[in-house]
Amino acid sequence: MSDLSVLPSKMNYGAVWILAKRELMSFWRSKSRIISSFVQSLLFLFVFGAGAILQSVTIDGVVVDPRAFAGSGVGAVVILFTGIFGGMSVFRDKMFGFMKELLVAPVSRKTLMFGRTLGIALQTLLQVTIVIGLGIAIGYFGYDLSLIWRFILILPVALLASIGIVGLGLIISSRLRDMQSFGLIQTFIVMPMFWLSGALIPFPPEFQIVTMLNPFSYSVDLFRFVLLGVSVFEIWLDIIVVIGFSTILILIGARSFNKMEVS
Amino acid sequence: MTESIIEVRNLTKIYEDGNVLAVDDINFDIKKGEIFAMLGPNGAGKTTTINMLATLLDLTEGQAFVNSYDVEKHPDKVRKSIGIVFQEPSLDIDMKGWENLELHAILYGMSKKERHPKIKEVLKLVDLEDRADTYVKNYSGGMKRRLEIARGLIHEPKVLFLDEPTLGLDPQTRRKIWDKIKELNQISEITILITTHYMDEADELADRICIMDHGKIIALDTSKNLKKQLSGDVIDIQFEKVEDRMKLPQIINQIREIPGIKNISFGDAKGQHDEIPMNMNLPANMPNIDPAMIQARIREVMSNPKKMLEAWKRFPMATQMFLNAPIEAKKRIANMFDNELLDEVPENIKQEIIKIKKGEYKEEEQDFEPKLSISCESGGKQLPLIVQNINDNNLKIKTVNMHEPTLEDVFLHYVGSAIREESSNHTKNIKKFIQMRQLRK
Repeated sequence: MSDLSVLPSKMNYGAVWILAKRELMSFWRSKSRIISSFVQSLLFLFVFGAGAILQSVTIDGVVVDPRAFAGSGVGAVVILFTGIFGGMSVFRDKMFGFMKELLVAPVSRKTLMFGRTLGIALQTLLQVTIVIGLGIAIGYFGYDLSLIWRFILILPVALLASIGIVGLGLIISSRLRDMQSFGLIQTFIVMPMFWLSGALIPFPPEFQIVTMLNPFSYSVDLFRFVLLGVSVFEIWLDIIVVIGFSTILILIGARSFNKMEVS
Repeated sequence: MTESIIEVRNLTKIYEDGNVLAVDDINFDIKKGEIFAMLGPNGAGKTTTINMLATLLDLTEGQAFVNSYDVEKHPDKVRKSIGIVFQEPSLDIDMKGWENLELHAILYGMSKKERHPKIKEVLKLVDLEDRADTYVKNYSGGMKRRLEIARGLIHEPKVLFLDEPTLGLDPQTRRKIWDKIKELNQISEITILITTHYMDEADELADRICIMDHGKIIALDTSKNLKKQLSGDVIDIQFEKVEDRMKLPQIINQIREIPGIKNISFGDAKGQHDEIPMNMNLPANMPNIDPAMIQARIREVMSNPKKMLEAWKRFPMATQMFLNAPIEAKKRIANMFDNELLDEVPENIKQEIIKIKKGEYKEEEQDFEPKLSISCESGGKQLPLIVQNINDNNLKIKTVNMHEPTLEDVFLHYVGSAIREESSNHTKNIKKFIQMRQLRK
């Protein structure tokens, strides 16, 4: 399908908006999804924050409140889950045939992809807001006026990180052919990225290498730096890796999406 | 009205990964305002053709123009000129009916002012105004189909592609959708390209029918002409007395003199079936096809249970033919199937065969009454002359039965005769073709 090469890749912003709105609408309408993500966040916050798994955490020589550590980690993990499963909505559309309706419309694939990415990114922001808001409300981050601007600064970080994750979701779902492979993705991609990111449990220095090899760790680290002011890695390294990771993944995602055939 | 809205030139599609030659060098034109049906068994290449015309698939070779735009050079313009209803449902079932249509309208660049009245209009057209706010997942199959047709019409396309629009729908719903299609075609003069494997659907709707098989167009004409091409009308005359048999050769010679008579066969029911085992009406003057060859092919299929099985699976008509076949033919076929093979036979045929094997059928009453089967160009004109001739010879007619060959006869004739071509020869040719293409690169 050489669609993109010939179809003017002009962006149709009306179409971008309606596609983004569709993602948000589908999120808003599936109440079970909202409730389950809410409950899951609460559970994580409780287990890792109040469950006394971590007695104390020391990052970069600074002692951090384990509840604040867990709170920021859960917030970052939300980006991973929402982004990947949001990107999977491409697969769902493929299965239910709606993808064909989109592909035959006189809009470029770029438009289709941008609309979807925007929708999922906004959805991610919404969820991050809920989780961090919840964490602040139950006092995990203490009560401090600086939290206001820290909270605001979190949003662009979450947006940037989520673009990369959506790209990953697009790569997977453009190639996925059946539902069965879904478990494999869960086991081999999502879970390692989640557990090996140091989001909920810090790794001792001798195992730090595992975290360093996981690109998502840098998103978590940047997220935590903005929220708590401490980071495992150098902050400039975090920024470079997050931007690079997001750029590369969204470009490969766009490529996979362009090449996707629906017959 | 004679202007072409779709032009297809040497269109070819090869799915290289599967070595499948899906569409093989086809040419056709569709005129503005007509309903054009593509008829063929599953896998004939109909959907592939539509997908290429809709710019969803690359062309391997050839050219196609829709609304005078080249599908390869101006896909966006082609897309705006067409509305399409896919074979499988393509609605977002988690959205409401109205939202599905609105999303479509926005994708096609319609402003709010344009789209609202238009969506109302198309919803009314398919009688779904009162279900606009229902989630699509709560729609019935027929409602979904109608909503898809409505969606295809929002942006006022010049051509509407309907890929198997009534697949899996009940008879009333089919009828309803047919009525809508006809209404649309008449009121808005939109050109409609419809693919189907239901003969009655093509017969009912289409101005012209194109029969496809193995990626090739094997016949293209109006339904009427296709049937005429096959054998005009068939008149069966049965006589009362056995003794009349002696006079028949003389009468046959006289009837042959009547202009417009193509072929006459003579015998009683039994005799004829020995000759043509399955009561198959053979075409009188088929261009390029030797009737003897067709008979040979039918005989070949009939003598090989594996080929029979294949025919039954592939063509619903073959099943029907078996069920309607005279008892002698059925018995002969039943004897070919042992218990092991019987497992693969479609259920309704299986039961019939079991019945025959158990001897539940009584011998059919022997029918010695002489019978003439006359195929002619136009039954209405020749029948009175024939009857008059018979009366002049003082013979008594018991029954006269005149029938036109149906579209099913035509379809089965064309497609049925192609069963043999599914041999390894065909695949070899494709491989060769693909290899040659790769060399050229």
